[in-house]
Amino acid sequence: MTEAATLTEAVPTPGHVTDAVFYDFDMFFDPAYLADPHKRVQDLLDNAPPVFWTPRNGGHWMLVSHSANFEAARDTETFSSEVIPHAQIEAILAQLPADSPPIPRAYPINLDPPLHGKYRQPVQGVFSPKAINKLKESIRKLAGELLDEIAGEGVCEFMSTVAQPLPVQVFLKLLGLPVEKFQTYSALVKAHLSAASGDSGAALARLQDVANAMRDTILARRDDPRDDLISLLWSVEIDGQPTTQQDIENYGVLMFIAGLDTVMQGIGHGVRHLALNPELQDELRADPALIGDATEELLRRYTFTVPPRRLNKDIVFEGVQMKKDDRAMLFLPGADLDPREFPDSARFELNRGGKPHIAFNAGPHRCLGSHLARVELNILYEELLARLPRFRLDPDRPVKFSGGHIIGVQELHLLWDN
Amino acid sequence: MKIRIDKAGCVGNARCWAVSESLFPLDDDGYILVEEIDVPPGMEAQARRGARACPERVIEIIEDDA
Repeated sequence: MTEAATLTEAVPTPGHVTDAVFYDFDMFFDPAYLADPHKRVQDLLDNAPPVFWTPRNGGHWMLVSHSANFEAARDTETFSSEVIPHAQIEAILAQLPADSPPIPRAYPINLDPPLHGKYRQPVQGVFSPKAINKLKESIRKLAGELLDEIAGEGVCEFMSTVAQPLPVQVFLKLLGLPVEKFQTYSALVKAHLSAASGDSGAALARLQDVANAMRDTILARRDDPRDDLISLLWSVEIDGQPTTQQDIENYGVLMFIAGLDTVMQGIGHGVRHLALNPELQDELRADPALIGDATEELLRRYTFTVPPRRLNKDIVFEGVQMKKDDRAMLFLPGADLDPREFPDSARFELNRGGKPHIAFNAGPHRCLGSHLARVELNILYEELLARLPRFRLDPDRPVKFSGGHIIGVQELHLLWDN
Repeated sequence: MKIRIDKAGCVGNARCWAVSESLFPLDDDGYILVEEIDVPPGMEAQARRGARACPERVIEIIEDDA
């Protein structure tokens, strides 16, 4: 017996939501979505309204079409990233006793312009493509070491052996955290991934654990800077003010929640596609110069993040009446599989005429780590294809997926013949 | 041929730069450095590819008058 997923309770439909834009879809527990997520995304594109309201998870809008996502992502005045308004959070924090443990805030992912830019600017350079290119060789070494450990086995569960450890190791290296913290952060990633949605107290405690695990290094680098991100963060200013310990912990927490399971899932979806398509593996092994294009098309074909927004005002958006404080999901997997934007969208095509996807979102919240993610994915595919012969999915152990704000690959069992 | 870029609309995807580092120079933050570019002869195809690669659609190609 497989576990039956229980849908979240449906809430009453607000008066401004018409029948024409109502569609019942649970982005956390929809059974068809959990069985084969991107197939269900295609089904939504074919059968659901391009912008619809679902009564699940407290009730929220789903922006499914490419145009809805592209427009909403760039209209930050209407579609706020402050799911809880910044002023409201500040007011709550101001009420806490002065000796309370610090509350990590993942700025600026949850801030709107102009404050968003003030927190983003200091870290832009570190994540610029030129800066990230300098990390390539060390990432290649890490990927190679992980793959060497499984190459002789002929069988592996890829998520736990490669897809998860690689971004954790890159994170440690980038921030300058000691390698001994690997197990700590692996465990924190696992807890973060397996957490049920909705328990905000437990979520906060986990983020505090993330911050606690880097505090020693943060303090050590203040007095003794090295060539790493934490040292650099001590030397920058936010809106003209020197960074504080809390600022640096906030950035560390942001990079943890935005940069670890995302890269891991990108690897999972991409390697699953390769395992399903041995002839594509052959093509890429024969001409590794094509792997860059393959990385982009895999990101488009299996876009997997669903950033939340809050309506900042009443608006008629794409013909649909929305009200202030409604919640809306940028369903980017829908945008990149929209056949109106990408003809024959389910087809994997190595070069779609150079047409760009929005797997890293559009607008000012474009994924800060996108250049690092691309490098990690690209190198992982290169090293994997160079080290392993044709690999395939284990027919006896099917791929397991998870839903929510990130479409996750939980288990990916591979086989190959050495 | 000229390239005109709505610099304020650049969000740092750097996909143009991935097509041609020389045509589409970036600043230290990874955002486009220039607003207008004279495309050197022979670079027209790369200019078009770079423009098409922009996810924000802020790069415009201005063809020379015939």
